[in-house]
Amino acid sequence: MVSRWSFTKISTFFFSLVAAGIMVAMLVLLIVQSIPVWKHEGWSFLTGTKWFMRTHEFGAAPMILGTVLVSFTALLLAGPVGIGAAVFASEFLPARLRLAVKIIIELLAGVPAVVYGLLGVLFLRNWIYDLLTPFDPLSGDTLLTGAVLLAVMILPTVMTLADDALRSVPAAQRTAARGLGLNSTEVVLHVSLPQSARGLLAALLLGLGRALGEAIAVFLVVGRQDNQWPEKLLSINPLIESGQTITTKLASSETNIAYGDPIHWGAICGLALILMLMVAGITLASASLQFFSRSRHAS
Amino acid sequence: MRRKLVHHLFRGITALCALLACGILGWLVWAIARRGLPAISWNFFTEQIKLVGASGGIFFNIIGTGILLLTALVATLPVAVSLALLHGVYLRDGKRKRALETMLYVLNGMPSIVCGIFGFIVFVNYFGWGKSWLSGGLLLAIIMLPTVTVALMERMATLPSKYVEAASGLGMRQSQIIWSVILPQTLSGIITGSLLGLARIAGEIAPIMFTATIFAGASFPKGIKESPVLSLPYHIFILVQDSFDPGVAEKIWGTALVMLGLVFTLSLIALPARLKIHEEAHHG
Repeated sequence: MVSRWSFTKISTFFFSLVAAGIMVAMLVLLIVQSIPVWKHEGWSFLTGTKWFMRTHEFGAAPMILGTVLVSFTALLLAGPVGIGAAVFASEFLPARLRLAVKIIIELLAGVPAVVYGLLGVLFLRNWIYDLLTPFDPLSGDTLLTGAVLLAVMILPTVMTLADDALRSVPAAQRTAARGLGLNSTEVVLHVSLPQSARGLLAALLLGLGRALGEAIAVFLVVGRQDNQWPEKLLSINPLIESGQTITTKLASSETNIAYGDPIHWGAICGLALILMLMVAGITLASASLQFFSRSRHAS
Repeated sequence: MRRKLVHHLFRGITALCALLACGILGWLVWAIARRGLPAISWNFFTEQIKLVGASGGIFFNIIGTGILLLTALVATLPVAVSLALLHGVYLRDGKRKRALETMLYVLNGMPSIVCGIFGFIVFVNYFGWGKSWLSGGLLLAIIMLPTVTVALMERMATLPSKYVEAASGLGMRQSQIIWSVILPQTLSGIITGSLLGLARIAGEIAPIMFTATIFAGASFPKGIKESPVLSLPYHIFILVQDSFDPGVAEKIWGTALVMLGLVFTLSLIALPARLKIHEEAHHG
């Protein structure tokens, strides 16, 4: 094939450049637009615990903490269940049933965030409130509620990717291990899981990335209370109080108000930038573990 | 004896995990269908909202979501096809291919709220469009782009190389091969990818809440500037936040059911082709 600069080739490169341009523009715009807040706050934008827009105090630490707490708790809940389900589907189920499970998981992955939010508002927060009665919570809108909801939302991602990772272990190895007299559980524990460890870790990381970036469902159940820096960090307290994550802050109507004020708007863009870098970092780590997973998890 | 015990225990625990995952979907569909079905009627689809959502239907919400999805699809397709061709045909160097894949991977993970902020800066303010269906559609296009591109890229990877070789042997130019061999042969990948991409963005709110959609008072858009649309997910999002009116509750569940139906239909149509590509990619 002689490659010449045909119309097709030119337009292909043009549209590809557009795609690359959008990504660069996103990063550059957020950096440029957030400059005022870095000038105004310096590093205390990251470490400050107070966010009062009227007095121009912008500290993002409680939101960063909220984001980290919510998404890691979600991963802690969804990770084992997702991997367990993937092990069962790929190692113990016959092909047809496996397919059925896979379809169900695909559908679960497609459920819109706002539907999860709706169920969260009407069921989950009441359940969490009842569950937490011994701790005397103010309401059911807590970081924990957000985390449980997120766990359900990232479960399909973790499970599909874990399933793919397990399936990429060659069947010959399983057969050989069975031939040595191991039963199917031992094959999973000693062959499949160790062989697919990188892929499983990648699945967990991608689930974490999804949890970090999800806005709408968490917005509805997390309580969205500003300036919640817990007195005791290493206790259950931060989890059972209402709080704010970066995404819920960005999704709040404050984003609309902020635009007229460069420093306030800078703070909003700064939050978006932090979130973007966190998620991109985790995504890249996951990608390098298991380069470009063959699966197309739908959401 | 101990081995057997561990075996059964392990199998039982993993089975419980799988049951839990599938059970959640079952419960979710049941919970929404049970409460949403009473709201579904002909008028629900053909009337516009009245009394702040307590009465009337979701006609313009469906129209608005349709407009957003269509705009996103039209904007995505040329870019997705270009990226897939770049990956499958033009880039020969493995490193560059990897760079492109990594870019798609990162874009795929990009939080949609960040895209929303980006669109708010660019479309709403720099371009001066205000809240407009076009800015929302373009943002949704960015979000669905990786899904469509990856599906198409994978379909292209399974295209037997002898097709291209034969076409090349007939003396076709590269652009002719692309238009008359590669694209027609990978059409199923384009369709599957589009359906999956649409399913993914149909329920998105974060990108469109500041850029394209309002709760009430919009019908068909008349232009580009300051022409917002209503949408299904935003309807639920607003109603669920401060509503204790049982009439409204019924409408919320009804809307949720419609949305769930839309998304499930899109992903189910795409499913057979998708599973096939998947199997080929693994064993092809």
